Amino acid sequence: MTQHSKAAKKFLENQDYAKWHDNTFWAVRSKRDTMAMGLDEWEQLREKASAIKQHTITHLDEYLEQFSNNAEKNGAMVHWAKDAQEFNEIVYSILKEYGVKKMVKSKSMLTEECEMNPYLEAHGIEVVETDLGERIIQLKGQKPSHIVMPAIHLNHDDVGELFEEKGISDEKGNHDPTYLTYKARLSLRNEFLTADAGMTGANFGIAETGDIVVCTNEGNADMSTSCPKLHIAAIGLEKVIPNYDCLAVFQRMLCRAGTGQPTTTYTSHFRKARPTASQMHIVLVDNGRSEWIGNPEHWESLKCIRCGSCMNTCPVYRRSGGYSYSYFIPGPIGINLGMLRNPNKHSGNVSACTLCLSCQSLCPVKIDLGDQIYKWRQQLDEFGTANKEKELMCKGMSFVYGHESIYNAVTNMAHMANWLPPFIMNSSLNPWATGHEMMKFPKKPFHTLFKEIDKK
Amino acid sequence: MSTKEDILKRIRANIGERFSDGQSGKTGYDMPDLSDIKAICYDNPLQQFADMSEKVGGKVIEAKVGEDLNALIKKLYPDAHEIASNLPEISIATRNPDTVESAQALNGTDVGVVRGMFGVAENGCIWIPQTMKEKAVCFISENLVILLPKNQIVNNMHEAYKRIEFNDYGYGTFISGPSKTADIAQVLVMGAQAARSVTVVLLPEN
Repeated sequence: MTQHSKAAKKFLENQDYAKWHDNTFWAVRSKRDTMAMGLDEWEQLREKASAIKQHTITHLDEYLEQFSNNAEKNGAMVHWAKDAQEFNEIVYSILKEYGVKKMVKSKSMLTEECEMNPYLEAHGIEVVETDLGERIIQLKGQKPSHIVMPAIHLNHDDVGELFEEKGISDEKGNHDPTYLTYKARLSLRNEFLTADAGMTGANFGIAETGDIVVCTNEGNADMSTSCPKLHIAAIGLEKVIPNYDCLAVFQRMLCRAGTGQPTTTYTSHFRKARPTASQMHIVLVDNGRSEWIGNPEHWESLKCIRCGSCMNTCPVYRRSGGYSYSYFIPGPIGINLGMLRNPNKHSGNVSACTLCLSCQSLCPVKIDLGDQIYKWRQQLDEFGTANKEKELMCKGMSFVYGHESIYNAVTNMAHMANWLPPFIMNSSLNPWATGHEMMKFPKKPFHTLFKEIDKK
Repeated sequence: MSTKEDILKRIRANIGERFSDGQSGKTGYDMPDLSDIKAICYDNPLQQFADMSEKVGGKVIEAKVGEDLNALIKKLYPDAHEIASNLPEISIATRNPDTVESAQALNGTDVGVVRGMFGVAENGCIWIPQTMKEKAVCFISENLVILLPKNQIVNNMHEAYKRIEFNDYGYGTFISGPSKTADIAQVLVMGAQAARSVTVVLLPEN
């Protein structure tokens, strides 16, 4: 059993919750379909979005330089980080320079990737997540289980009890989501007002104008940058796009694809600090991306805009949950990004795919997610993580399929396996019997049946 | 070598190796033509804008020619005590985001009143460039009123991004409805961290 299937088994122990999880994401997927079908140009937008990203990634050096020059012209200071370590050090040095003790931040998968929060906390900085879902899992000491809906693995009772324990809510037993959201609002409002710095991620960086563009529904990125005296924006290299005409394409797709809304509530453009704040800092982070561009089979993973639609539609994600994957981004895109990051560590995830290709049939930037997973599977031998029993059986099969006479003899006799007691066919000696019943072999193989039709 | 140079050098090397076409001498993919996007347009963009605004949880009302906006806002939010605005026509304002001593001083604002430049029919977005010293007024207020000339509606985001303009504040945002979240058990709740309600007041054409 792979690491993923073991973890998925645990997820499925609570059948009621597993069912709810599956239905919830299918509902999000259906909302996405309604949005996509509401625009005649949807497929055209996908084509354009993919082509813009292919162009941008294969000219990324030019766009990065343009972005950085324009951002500096606007008055921001641009930093470059080669890896997670350097990123964390840069952020800490900026915070230290401004004497920051507390920093509020909006959601950023990049800071998860770099494990920034624990680094800053170890250096004495208080970090407060302000996206409600992120705040919940921060208080719970957990990691996100979905990139857009990070606390989806918790129900309202879990959150209610957590808020009681942390003193955020005072009405014991009131686990109504509206009440809990209001109490979180009051608590976070206080954090916004007293923080010394605010950090945002970036959905897009615009090369032509030097804007950082952040999309949220809660308004927490704007709250994080409206009160504190310092704004730091963290942005992965691949988030830079050429201009506003390109942005229009992505802005229209991001939310429709991800959550099935026509837009996020806020689409905010930051060019520089507000007049009563210190200089704005932008940190551009590589952390592997500049190498991945050179990967002939997998570079298109860099097109991702992190909408989450591939996980919402994935039959395996919906039935196994975010925590079943070893990489911090789950689902089809997470499988691929995890393999680019560290194949030895994350190859257990490549089995979490039925190759149904639902993900790539709706990815707004047309990443060939399922095909890439298939390609990774062909390389498992190199990483020494192929399943030994299946490998042996595959060798046996390729021998059988390679010799016609043996193949015919074996398929003619296959039905005899039906008479073997189930404890042999379903035993642990047969790796394909894990998780499903073995098939019944037909009495007459297909070849024989086909020849009979021919005779008629 | 600086990290910047190091990163750019690695990118150039990888792009050069993977994507140069020896025959044409070109490297990488071309930028697609975006002018042929058949983007959605509406027979009545204003109606579509109003419908979308309500769908995303906002409220839309039309001011009549010559109507006093102060009375209108008072009627909309009768319990409001603290009203923040730097617009000269909003005489009921008790706070001014241009002159408050800090952004924090705008906390506790019941109604913030700001001006929108244009609306987007396809999704209810309104472009609001920063035109006040403390932009916090757009987010920290419990309720937000956006004044929008009703003849300033574009069809879609392609048209919108051709129109947006910045001033020296260097900040602007599209707002579509009130702040919202579904982070607790996927139940939609209005009023996450920013404005709990948004009312768009459509101003008559001059």
